[in-house]
Amino acid sequence: MKILYGWVREFVDLRLTAAQAADRLINAGIEVASVTPLAPDWKGVVVGEIEAIERELGESHGHRLLVCRVSTGRERYAVVCGAPNTKVGARAAFAPPGAVLPGGRRIGSAKIHRVESQGMLCSEQELGIGEEHDAGILLLDGARPGTDLIAALGLDDHVLEVEITPNRPDCLSVMGIARELSALTGARFRPPAVALKESGDAARSLARVRIEAPDLCHRFTARVVSGVTVGPSPGWLRARLRAVGLRPISNVVDATNYVLWELGQPLHAYDYDRVADGTIVVRRARAGERFTTLDGQERPLDGSMLLIADPRQAIGLAGVMGGANTEVTAGTSRVLLESAWFAPASIRRTSRALGLRTDAAYRFERGADVEALVTASARAAGLIAELAGGTIARGVVDAYPRKRKPQRIRLRMARVKRVLGVAPSTAQARKILTGLGLPVKTRGADLEVVVPSFRRDVSMEDDLVEEIIRVWGYDRIPSTLPGGAIALVTYPPNLRQSQTVRRALVGAGLAEVIAYSFSDPARAALFRRPSDGAPVELLNPLSQDASWLRSHPLEGVLGAVAINVRRQQPDVRVFEVGKTYGRGGGGDAGTIEPRWVTIALTGARGEPGWSGGQERADVYDAKGLAEHVLEALGVRASTGESGALGGFEPDCHGTLVTESGAVLAEFGEVAATLRESLGIPTPVFAAAVSLDAAAAVVPAPTRYQALPRFPAVERDLAFVVVGDQMLTAARIESALREAAGPLLRRLVLFDVFRFPDGRSSLAWRLLFQAEDRTLTDDEVNAIQERVVRRITETFHITLRSG
Amino acid sequence: MGHPRVDAIVQQAREAVAAAQSSAELEAVRVGVLGRQGALTQLLRSLGTLPPDERPLVGSAANEAKRELEGLLDARLAATHETERQAERSRRRLDLTLPGRRPPRGSLHPLTRVHDEIVAIFAGLGFSVAEGPEIETDYHNFEALNIPRDHPARDMQDTLYLSESTLLRTHTSPVQIRTMLAQKPPVRIIVPGRVYRRDVADMSHSPMFHQVEGLAVDRGITMADLKGTLELFAREMFGPRSRIRFRPSFFPFTEPSAEVDVLCFVCLGDGCRLCKQGGWLEILGSGMVHPQVLRNVGYDPEEVTGWAFGMGIDRIAMLKYGIDDLRLFFENDLRFLRQFA
Repeated sequence: MKILYGWVREFVDLRLTAAQAADRLINAGIEVASVTPLAPDWKGVVVGEIEAIERELGESHGHRLLVCRVSTGRERYAVVCGAPNTKVGARAAFAPPGAVLPGGRRIGSAKIHRVESQGMLCSEQELGIGEEHDAGILLLDGARPGTDLIAALGLDDHVLEVEITPNRPDCLSVMGIARELSALTGARFRPPAVALKESGDAARSLARVRIEAPDLCHRFTARVVSGVTVGPSPGWLRARLRAVGLRPISNVVDATNYVLWELGQPLHAYDYDRVADGTIVVRRARAGERFTTLDGQERPLDGSMLLIADPRQAIGLAGVMGGANTEVTAGTSRVLLESAWFAPASIRRTSRALGLRTDAAYRFERGADVEALVTASARAAGLIAELAGGTIARGVVDAYPRKRKPQRIRLRMARVKRVLGVAPSTAQARKILTGLGLPVKTRGADLEVVVPSFRRDVSMEDDLVEEIIRVWGYDRIPSTLPGGAIALVTYPPNLRQSQTVRRALVGAGLAEVIAYSFSDPARAALFRRPSDGAPVELLNPLSQDASWLRSHPLEGVLGAVAINVRRQQPDVRVFEVGKTYGRGGGGDAGTIEPRWVTIALTGARGEPGWSGGQERADVYDAKGLAEHVLEALGVRASTGESGALGGFEPDCHGTLVTESGAVLAEFGEVAATLRESLGIPTPVFAAAVSLDAAAAVVPAPTRYQALPRFPAVERDLAFVVVGDQMLTAARIESALREAAGPLLRRLVLFDVFRFPDGRSSLAWRLLFQAEDRTLTDDEVNAIQERVVRRITETFHITLRSG
Repeated sequence: MGHPRVDAIVQQAREAVAAAQSSAELEAVRVGVLGRQGALTQLLRSLGTLPPDERPLVGSAANEAKRELEGLLDARLAATHETERQAERSRRRLDLTLPGRRPPRGSLHPLTRVHDEIVAIFAGLGFSVAEGPEIETDYHNFEALNIPRDHPARDMQDTLYLSESTLLRTHTSPVQIRTMLAQKPPVRIIVPGRVYRRDVADMSHSPMFHQVEGLAVDRGITMADLKGTLELFAREMFGPRSRIRFRPSFFPFTEPSAEVDVLCFVCLGDGCRLCKQGGWLEILGSGMVHPQVLRNVGYDPEEVTGWAFGMGIDRIAMLKYGIDDLRLFFENDLRFLRQFA
């Protein structure tokens, strides 16, 4: 919210600069984002009086061109002007020769229709402060000729851009900021004095108010101003409204906006003669009712929305926006002025449901001051009468079915100390609260505060504690450390597990990535299998391509591979510790968040250099890293069948499983269609280890085994497998193990070789060792023969000779 | 001295040693004389076939010769080895400026590094770590934290919803609620985790980021304890000259509330580009746990008091490493990530 500092100073005697005042506010929790001088973009423009119109030069663009005698008090100028509102006696913005207008336009003497014009009379548009094209010259009634225009318009000022937290609607006004500054500095606070000249009929005889929804409208007041002339507001008012970001509309509407900004109370002016029977009915909308707001939009309503109506029809969307049917127009002569209090939640719901965020709704949804709305109404009525003429009917129609009961709060000084660790003296506390406009009584060692209606946020003792320390100063809070018993620091198992995994994979040379949890449904379709459960969708995503939460563990790492490959980084070795999201589970949100560590590799296996690293990564790297992770977690795994996750090449997709067959990890080559859609030209190998599955396995406790005391005997055996046999290394290995018996200490597949004709050679190294004796050659030869016989006979394969 | 049979062997061996060109030839000589089948070994082994009176003579001469030849061979071998190594060195001509063969170098994500650092600091202060789900109920994320539906405070955190009553948590504060509902005071936890807002990604906003929540509830906990704890944290995180500043603020679940700034560690308050000339950097929001929040979890605000804070891991990582664009964290460009190896 923009506030003019000069406007603030009308209500508080401050000797601070705007920047100093901003500092005080910031230190008390009123954020001031910026302090900017208004500094209009012109020089040398003054107030000139049109003393006489000397002659007419003819027409130009439909306007009469006049030669005026303009006085600045000291000098006189002959000025040509074609504005329709040029009239003798008017005071207007005048740029004498030598003045500079916005955009660096220097004013001199110019020949217009062969007449010398000494300077020019300026419109708001020419001064860069208005947009309307045909508005005429800027008139400044009552300003002294020769006065600098910046001063005459009140523009020698600073704009404070304040950001008010939702708990302080009382600060959403010039007066609220002034009151706060008074409390912070001790300077005298002068609320605006409203002296109203009322005459003629009583308001009560002209207007009636019936509140049919007292739960949503606690108070509604109406005044009537008759005989107004609707027209533009004077220059100073228009300038002030523009300076705070409001658009001048007409004197009547501008008056209500001015008071909204000054006092924080939203007001609305209706054309009285278009309100049937002068009767206001505050009621809920009827189902299916439609209503056209001031902006010309027809809006569908529902039964929860509050309307201002007359006996015939709706005339306003309560607290949000008035209706087109009762709008104040040039023809309006009588005005019905609304000043009311609406329930915040209801206004907020309506405003959000209709997407209609207005200054009025913004204040009502935070809470207006139910006791101040009569004063605001009087201030606005006075301003309307001043700007637009007319007479103010006597009194005010005040429907106030639910009178506010002031709350009393007891403040124990001991509580202040208990919360803050420090407390000012009772006298000091009392002074601070009084300064904030909170009436205080002393009750023994404690204080009692009667909460005024403008401080809706103060509702309990600790709110007062905050008020005290806010003004007294947060820098007075000392620094101590919490005492109390010492307890064992504990970590969730998840955290330890992810730290172990990260250490293992960083040690293996992978880079950790963190990817968004969001997913693009179009892309996710490439990952998913028909059997996958329903994805988690967002109700209000930022964009379609981030409208799901990711359901496949590889989405994150593959995205990281894609971006790097696209950026000339062809060798990528990355991992992520992350989650997928799904429906189900027993949690109170009805969702599950399975945890994974995922790995993706493409390009070179290592870091290519002079001594190697150029070999391409393959599926066994992905498998090995998954095994590495599980080993680090103390989980034993063996190779299982093809897995459940989509997104892998069907012939290159395996799992790692526990002894009981539970899947711990899936690995393989990423499906070519998938990686191509991600723009990755090289094969990608990936693994996803389920951290939940790994956590479910109880690792075997670490136990020492005695070192062997007798020498070992090593034998190498190579078998030749014909290519088309469905024979895996694992099957041969388990048969080897079984045939070799208990003396086999270690079994390593140390060579795999593929012949050009498709046959493969698989070579194992077998290490035999006994715990109680040195093995003899004969003993080992016998075992070897048994092993060879068993393998060749079982699988019909041959021992590779030589 | 010796014995003619021994002398002959020794003489022959001396000549062979003198003639040998390499360690291999010397080894051959050793085997020929002193090896299992060597001349001297054979002679010693055949002592029993000699007449008894000759045995001691031949025996002692042979043993003396063995010692002598061993000494001779060892000396020559040492010299020859050295010559051979010399030759080997000049042949292999190592270029030690070639890069070393390093194991592949991995890297932790910068957010993980900062996360670990924060967790370690607070663990040192006696804070346990708690976690909670990212998909939350409206109750835990808002209602229980004093942010009812239709309250303007909801504007402070634009929310991504899954349904009317479930959402992506906008802060780690719901874990405060879950923890306090599950245990009696005292509570002293930090809660690291991923949070979400409906903010379009730009240099300083992201729809997903990371927070660490802190919560201490006990008898006699004060705002002064909050200040002292955060001061210690700032000194550990940003250096021993670090200072912090409290500014009043508003959060619906704390009262009083404070925004906390840390003295800019680049300029130490003089004003620079990092702190936008202000001298201070905003790092976290905090305050005394609102009595209503304590009541919501069944604690008695007359019995216990507490404080809570929430800081952005991403924000602290940006400050610490001088990263000017939040999006870099989630783009995962290896040239960025590798800087944090």
